[in-house]
Amino acid sequence: MAWIVKPSAQQQMERRDQPYLTDALKTEIEKTYIPRYATRRAALLPTLHAIQHEHNWIPYQAMEEAAEFLGLTAAEVVDTASFYEEFHLHPKGRHLIQICQSISCELCGHESILEKLIDKLGIEPGETTADGKFTLETIECLGSCGTAPAVMVQENLRENVTWEKLETYLDSLE
Amino acid sequence: MALEQPILCKRIPTPPWGDINDRKTVTFDEYVCTGGYEALKKAKDITQADLVEQIKKSQLRGRGGAGFSAGLKWSFLPPPDGEPRYLAVNADESEPGTFKDRLIVDFDPHMMLEGIAICCHACNLDTAYIYIRGEYHRQAKVLEQAIAEAYANNIFGQKSILGQVNGRVLNCYVHRGAGAYICGEETGLLESLEGKRGWPRIKPPFPAVSGLFGRPTVINNVETLAMLPFIVERGDAWFRSIGRASTLGENVPGSFGPKLFGVSGHVNRPGVYEEELGIAMGELIDKYAGGMRNGKKFKSAIPGGVAMGFLGPDEYQADLDFDIGRKHNVLGLGTAGVIVMDEDTDIVAMTRNIVRFFARESCGQCTPCREGSGWAYQMLCRIEQGEGTFNDLDILDEVARSMGAMPGTTICGLADGTNWAVKTAIEKFRPEFESRCKSSLVQVNVSVGGSATV
Repeated sequence: MAWIVKPSAQQQMERRDQPYLTDALKTEIEKTYIPRYATRRAALLPTLHAIQHEHNWIPYQAMEEAAEFLGLTAAEVVDTASFYEEFHLHPKGRHLIQICQSISCELCGHESILEKLIDKLGIEPGETTADGKFTLETIECLGSCGTAPAVMVQENLRENVTWEKLETYLDSLE
Repeated sequence: MALEQPILCKRIPTPPWGDINDRKTVTFDEYVCTGGYEALKKAKDITQADLVEQIKKSQLRGRGGAGFSAGLKWSFLPPPDGEPRYLAVNADESEPGTFKDRLIVDFDPHMMLEGIAICCHACNLDTAYIYIRGEYHRQAKVLEQAIAEAYANNIFGQKSILGQVNGRVLNCYVHRGAGAYICGEETGLLESLEGKRGWPRIKPPFPAVSGLFGRPTVINNVETLAMLPFIVERGDAWFRSIGRASTLGENVPGSFGPKLFGVSGHVNRPGVYEEELGIAMGELIDKYAGGMRNGKKFKSAIPGGVAMGFLGPDEYQADLDFDIGRKHNVLGLGTAGVIVMDEDTDIVAMTRNIVRFFARESCGQCTPCREGSGWAYQMLCRIEQGEGTFNDLDILDEVARSMGAMPGTTICGLADGTNWAVKTAIEKFRPEFESRCKSSLVQVNVSVGGSATV
């Protein structure tokens, strides 16, 4: 997770006029999270979670806004955000499919499900379908070893997964 | 001997638990009806020194993996000086094979909240943060709901029945992680709580002296805290009547109390089962988990999360207590998440899986862990594909043994996981590794009097 390659200094940052960290979000964070901690920086993880929940990923512009909001430098925010696997610094599909590849899931046959997913979606792990609907990822332990194999689809944990059940579920998604 | 009645699981249904969305959580009212929060009322009238002494005497050992005495940990705190003091609850269970804390949060969160309140009272801590892993979306919501109930019923907050703690209002918050295993390491957890990357700190200073925001901090596992109401209510002698003393010597701490065991892998009924410490693994598998799947033979198991290393085919009846490390050449009991493997399992592939986990989750601070786990993973992939040599096997073993907090080359214990997984696998299943390796010697044909040809 520490090895996410940072874009070089040549890279242009994409910007838009509207802020990602909206005033509504700011008020919410100021009210709920800031009073909980001794420093403003400690509210950074909740802030990033809030941004990602709203936009499905965390663009660089949003990190700049978060830095200003919490009184940090942009570098400090990127430093923290890039460490955590669950913060998406690149856009993802509308439905993020994360399949657990840890030991209990491998023992219970996650591999055949992964192969069928690759077949069905036509993408490799880490890629997004052309229509932007699905992103496929392999992930380490979802804490569902007793109900392996496990797949998480956009915050929605599917346990004791069989290919039939998973396929029906994926087909039902918009 | 077996546990006569469920303790931690008394309000929790036995597996299979059904669909995740249908699971019902014990509410505040239901919890109180069944004797909940009685222990907190009792604890309120006990002096703080007596409470710490009682937990110390109960010999409760941390349920998060290291097995350190909880009472002893508390007694390292300096006396209150009027400034804030914190409790960090470790609900970041992310080690493959471990899913026991999730059970408590999913079904009976008030048990843990009561433990938190007791701990805060005993140690003079005014704010508790429950650090829950990011992947537990549902559980975080369940916790938020339970905490709101606890505030409404004066467990926490302005009108808390404990009054002011450490001269402040008692508060309890959920803090969500974001998918980093290393944040389960106690100082990594603190860094993450402070809004930084979860890089473990160099100790000393220990968190009891200088932890969260530089203040004294207690860090306990969910299950350890959930155990507290029962000890306060029933006494430390009751706690010590369950489990067993260590057979390794008088000065070795014992393994007392009930424990949640998570069983996964090749068994018929995987799940979390409560039993007393010291139960034989074979009994746990046969009696609770429905035996080996498809009637296959047992080959290996990992006693508690993948960092602990492998048990061999002849260690089916290994006793699951804190002595297991020294008796069976593994790292320890860990989180007691038993991963069972049958005769068809490819140990090389499993070792590769475990090392991949540690390579991916290494925080990157210490070279032996960052580089060692990455290269070990590549070598294991090569051996798995039949491209490895005997020499690779020796290098792999040497690399693994030289990384970790125990050989003293890293800040935290994450690399010890790679160390023990690889070294126990090679020790106990060496022929399996060797059968996949090519000879590292280059064959040379020599004819006497002539020149050697390669």
